[in-house]
Amino acid sequence: MDASKGSKKRKAITRDVEEEAGTFSGDELSKKNLNGALSDDANDLSSDEGDSEVELVDDFSSDEEEVEGEEGIDSDEIPSDGGDLVKKKSGTAVDEPARDNDDDESSEEEQINFRIEKDAYGNDRYLYDEINPDDNSELSEADEDANTIGNIPLSFYDEYPHIGYDINGKKIMRPAKGEALDALLDSIEIPKGFTGLTDPSTGKPLELSQDELELLRKVQMNEIPDEGYNPYEPTIEWFSSKQEVMPLSAAPEPKRRFVPSKHEAKRVMKIVKAIREGRILPYKAPEERDEEDPNVIKYDLWADEAEDADPHMHIPAPKLPPPGYEESYHPPPEYLPDNKERKTWEQTDPEDRESEFLPNDFGSLRRVPGYENFVKEKFERCLDLYLAPRVRRSKLNIDPESLLPKLPSPEELKPFPTACATIFRGHKGRVRTLAIDPSGLWLATGGDDGTVRVWELLTGRQLWSTTLNEEDPVNVVKWRPGKDAVVLAAAAGDDVFLAVPPIVDPEVEQASLEILDAGWGYAASRPAPTGADANKKNAPPQWIRPSSSLADSGVYAVIPLRYVVKSLSWHRRGDYFVTVCPGSSTPASVAIAIHTLSKHLTQFPFHRRLKGGGPPQTAHFHPSKPVLFVANQRSVRAYDLSRQLLVKIIQPGARWISSFDIHPTSSTAAGGDNLIVGSYDRRLLWHDLELSPRPYKTLRYHRKAIRSVKFHPGGRYPLFADASDDGSLQIFHGSVTGDMLSNASIVPLKVLKGHKITGELGVLEVDWHPREAWCVSAGADGTCRLWM
Amino acid sequence: MGKIKKKGNSGQAKNYITRTQAVRKLQITLPDFRRLCIFKGIYPREPRNKKKASKTSTPNTTFYYTKDIQYLLHEPLLAKFRDQKSLAKKIARSLGRGEVSDASRLEKNHAPKLTLDHVIKERYPTFIDALRDLDDALSLLFLFANLPSSSHVPPKTIALCQRVTHEFQHYLIATNSLRKSFLSIKGIYYQATIQGQDIMWLVPYRFVQRVNGDVDYRIMATFVEFYTTLLGFVNYRLYSSLGLRYPPKFDTRSDENGAELAAFTLEGRSVGNVPKAIEGNNTKSNALSNQVSSEVQSKVDKVIQDAGLDQTKDEKTVETTEESNDAIDKFEPAAPEADTLDQPDLSAADSGSLFAPFTVYISREAPKAPLEFILRAFGCTRVGWDAVSGDGAFTHDETDTRITHQIVDRPPLPEGALPAAPAAKDGDVPQVKPGTRVPGRTYVQPQWVWDSINEGRLLRPDLYAPGTTLPPHLSPWVKPSRVGYDPKASLAAQEEEGEAELAEEDSGSDEEMEDEKDDKDDKVDEKKNGDAKAAEASDDDDSEEEDGGMDVDLANSDEDEEEDDSESADEDFGGFEDDAASESEDDEEAARSRHQKELEAEAAGLPFSSINGGADEKAKKKSSQAKKIAAKKRKEEEELERQKMMMSRKKRKLLEKMMYSNKKQSDEAAKLRSKRRKLEKGEKGEKGEK
Repeated sequence: MDASKGSKKRKAITRDVEEEAGTFSGDELSKKNLNGALSDDANDLSSDEGDSEVELVDDFSSDEEEVEGEEGIDSDEIPSDGGDLVKKKSGTAVDEPARDNDDDESSEEEQINFRIEKDAYGNDRYLYDEINPDDNSELSEADEDANTIGNIPLSFYDEYPHIGYDINGKKIMRPAKGEALDALLDSIEIPKGFTGLTDPSTGKPLELSQDELELLRKVQMNEIPDEGYNPYEPTIEWFSSKQEVMPLSAAPEPKRRFVPSKHEAKRVMKIVKAIREGRILPYKAPEERDEEDPNVIKYDLWADEAEDADPHMHIPAPKLPPPGYEESYHPPPEYLPDNKERKTWEQTDPEDRESEFLPNDFGSLRRVPGYENFVKEKFERCLDLYLAPRVRRSKLNIDPESLLPKLPSPEELKPFPTACATIFRGHKGRVRTLAIDPSGLWLATGGDDGTVRVWELLTGRQLWSTTLNEEDPVNVVKWRPGKDAVVLAAAAGDDVFLAVPPIVDPEVEQASLEILDAGWGYAASRPAPTGADANKKNAPPQWIRPSSSLADSGVYAVIPLRYVVKSLSWHRRGDYFVTVCPGSSTPASVAIAIHTLSKHLTQFPFHRRLKGGGPPQTAHFHPSKPVLFVANQRSVRAYDLSRQLLVKIIQPGARWISSFDIHPTSSTAAGGDNLIVGSYDRRLLWHDLELSPRPYKTLRYHRKAIRSVKFHPGGRYPLFADASDDGSLQIFHGSVTGDMLSNASIVPLKVLKGHKITGELGVLEVDWHPREAWCVSAGADGTCRLWM
Repeated sequence: MGKIKKKGNSGQAKNYITRTQAVRKLQITLPDFRRLCIFKGIYPREPRNKKKASKTSTPNTTFYYTKDIQYLLHEPLLAKFRDQKSLAKKIARSLGRGEVSDASRLEKNHAPKLTLDHVIKERYPTFIDALRDLDDALSLLFLFANLPSSSHVPPKTIALCQRVTHEFQHYLIATNSLRKSFLSIKGIYYQATIQGQDIMWLVPYRFVQRVNGDVDYRIMATFVEFYTTLLGFVNYRLYSSLGLRYPPKFDTRSDENGAELAAFTLEGRSVGNVPKAIEGNNTKSNALSNQVSSEVQSKVDKVIQDAGLDQTKDEKTVETTEESNDAIDKFEPAAPEADTLDQPDLSAADSGSLFAPFTVYISREAPKAPLEFILRAFGCTRVGWDAVSGDGAFTHDETDTRITHQIVDRPPLPEGALPAAPAAKDGDVPQVKPGTRVPGRTYVQPQWVWDSINEGRLLRPDLYAPGTTLPPHLSPWVKPSRVGYDPKASLAAQEEEGEAELAEEDSGSDEEMEDEKDDKDDKVDEKKNGDAKAAEASDDDDSEEEDGGMDVDLANSDEDEEEDDSESADEDFGGFEDDAASESEDDEEAARSRHQKELEAEAAGLPFSSINGGADEKAKKKSSQAKKIAAKKRKEEEELERQKMMMSRKKRKLLEKMMYSNKKQSDEAAKLRSKRRKLEKGEKGEKGEK
């Protein structure tokens, strides 16, 4: 209320001030009046804030100046400090009585502040008391900056920049103050009820009356806006201890008000009972029980252990390897690192070191220091245990040698042909075929020039040569097996020629002739074929005597087969040989012919074409059994000749079989049949007939077609060779063991190169020496070579 | 048509889960996950194809099996972790409010107690499984038992570790199941066999462990928590299998006095069972040892005191007769030096009786704890030590006449160097002047104990006498392998053929190159020939006649060990047999031809020239040999290539891998051999100078 009044008064006062000031400055008022008015004003404004106080103070100070100059200036020095105001005021309040006292004193002083004494001359002498400035006396403070203008109104200096002079006569400049601005602001007439707002309905400035402002203020201050409302009315006690004559409710007092509760009694009784029975114990502070070590194990965890399958594939952590010799505190001296090793160890990064410590010899146990990385190593082990992924790895602790195939030692493999020993030159054009005679002395060759030549094997000297056919090449030459006679079978064009080269000693030559001639009688004794038979295409041909020129040169029989013979193979005993005419125009029934030397008889055992794989290519007799192997383009068939049965079909998987050979020891003892097949599609296939009809090993070491394959005859050396169009021969070691359990082991041994490739053809045929590990090859370049 | 498979819904993508995913799935923090993994023994897995398993391209992702994590979901520990977390929150809150007593009450009464019993049962369904996995546990616990306490390692943990490890050691002592031990640079390795399981652990030397900054003790503490529980259960089972009460009686006072092992007293479980006397202080004196010592005493009276060697020898003879009672049958084979590893391991009875008849005194400079443990585990019941080393000794009196062996580890000092011993002033224990020997007992260095137990028999103590240079201490776990180097065998026995000659040639031809010889890869095979060796031998002894018999003697005296090792010894080789013994079969031919020549020479009555060893002849031979060797090597390589050609590519790779590792091994062995050769040569040279 007080505050509000103050603020209400404020404007009025601020406006009044000037008038008052004017009055002050104008009139001389009694000090008392002034003081009273001042104090009144001060009281009024005690709760006031803001610039108006400054004004007031200013006025007050100027007023004071009038009263006491020094003091007034003092107060002038602190003009607009609102904070000091209270002090100021209290100061003034305190000063008031003091001033009064002063006034009193000054009046007193005028009377008694001197003594009258007689001086030396007897004159009166006014002796003034020493001025004893009181502590609170302002007079004592002789301020240098004090204004010395004396008791004149300051307004005299209004037009000057200074307000007076100090004790030294210097101008005291007017202190800077907001007075001018304030005066201007105050001079502006503010209409009553000015709010600064615009009334939206009228567009005129909104003016509020004093009551309305008061109401707003109350709302703002959370006061009750109603003027007459008393929030602290005395309460009316409706229900009191006093018996009313007319009570509000006349209902009788309920029973529960005065009867003790049964339910509560029940509950209490329950508790009492529990206490009596000792079920409820009085509270006891939990005493410090002795720390029972929870880590002491009290029972057997594995009392009922059961071996059960690990549910989640646990891999136990691998154990650390045991320490080696180098970790010893006193290792053998050779484990100690030398300077170089030590240096490299120190220079490598700790992460890259092979071992985390250097071996060191401490000599005796007392010199061993602590291992500085112990904690770190254990920590790393811990990390490994829970951070490292574990993988089960089968560790290879096998001897590497055991992985290598069990191979015969190189010494065991020897001998095998390694170098070209002899070159046989003489043929014009390709040498198509060659054969070494069973004694191993001579080599027979046949070539495109239609000649058959016989050479001395070791020297390369040509012993015998005859031209069998002017136009057609000699396709096959083969010696009759057996050393009792020397018979050479050669196929050129459509005919097969049997010759006895005049190179041997007469006895053997005689024997050979006898063998060849023995058959003429049989042929004569046989009924001559009827004309119809002879006309028939597949009638067996008659052996005929050769032309005289041929007979002179040593050819003794000719078998006209009417089709080009490409393959010829003798039976082991030398009485039979089989020829094959692979030409596509050849009727199937006459493609394969078996000739009996002793009877001069030719038979065609097959009436129909072999199934699957085109015309027959080549045929061989089994070395020991009466079985004939016939190869067509894709398969090899074995026929039992005595029972006239197909025994076996071998499918090498080659597209076009060029040649095949049967292992010489096949079916002897316990061993099974082994077969090698060469094909034009660059494959060499080893068949173990006991194993499967498919090849046991497929070797593809040639870049061109394989023309010929051959086992070493006689089984003395487990060698075989193949000849290929890439101009090379390859020699293999293929040993066949006697027992059924172990498979044949094949070892590549040597690549023999020397033949030139002429017209896409390289080596056309290969043959082995019957006793030595030598082989001969017929090249398309017109030479034959002996490799040994 | 089958449903189109969506990526990431089956196979590896489903089977593996990254760590982040796992943590999120389990709703725990990463440290908690880490602890859980440690407790449960769950470790990351390496997917066969990382790309298929991971959905991100981050290269370093750890994968877990989804099933493992699934299995963790039901773990009771997980709930405990959550309780702990909420409790930590409560405590933090009350501490934030300044309610300290509340916080302490919460901490004291509401802290969830982790029990790992079920985890151990799960991880080790059988007791054998637990034993199998004890290696790491023991190593870590022994480390923690020796750690100084710090903020990371509370003293309580250390005490617990000490207790369980000592209990375990007591079991080993009681059953004599310690087998081997090894003093390494890092610490002492022990190996025990319990129920057929070999358990090996490493105990650090007693020094304050240096702790590097990058060691996270929280992880180790988690392991220790698990391992203490595990070892506690194992101990319980082991003790109860012996009929002993678990936990054994623990004397705190004695432990404070440094008794360590002796602070425990094992008790039988039933009343009638006599407590096993592990406590060292049984005053029952050993009549035998008394007798021995008195006997020796009488001898020593006659002998001058400084004849220390004689004394030990006497002692030794006594020992050997003692030991022969039960052990000699076992060690009957004529050459005990050879193939000790081939012999069967010690049985408990053997190991229990190794040190049984002795009274051992451990000097105060020798490490008491490991020696006491080992001696007791190998049957010695009377172990005494200096009072400084702690309580619980059989005797603290160094002058005790019952002591048969004293383990010392101090260098012998000259008499004058010793400070005058203070006169025994009213001391209850008479002092022995340091450096003096009490007559009637064997003084050995600590390594004797270790070597003896590893060897399974008592070794000659004079080799281990104080002040002598000890024989090298060898690890008992290294098995001799074909390619590896064996320091026990003689150099000649394991050299590759011709290696020595080659090395000699190297060093002989250019001496300045000798320093670099070590680095040189001298594994080039050289054909070794017997005559070079023989010539060498005859060079050594110039005075020797060129007589076959002499050669035999020489060889025998030099290389009797070698003789055992060589398996290709041909009987009818006569004088050269021993020299050629170490040759491989490849050289037999050469040797045979030599022999033939020799016989011819003998028949002709001429001295066999090569024994005389003309120097130029030798040189010639050597050069021809080098050629031969080179040719042979080339041939071998060719042969190998040829063989490789026949193999499938997979097998070839495998072969190459194996050959690589084998080559590494053999290179290492060759290096060691060359070092040894150099050393031996140096020794020989020194001897020659003298």
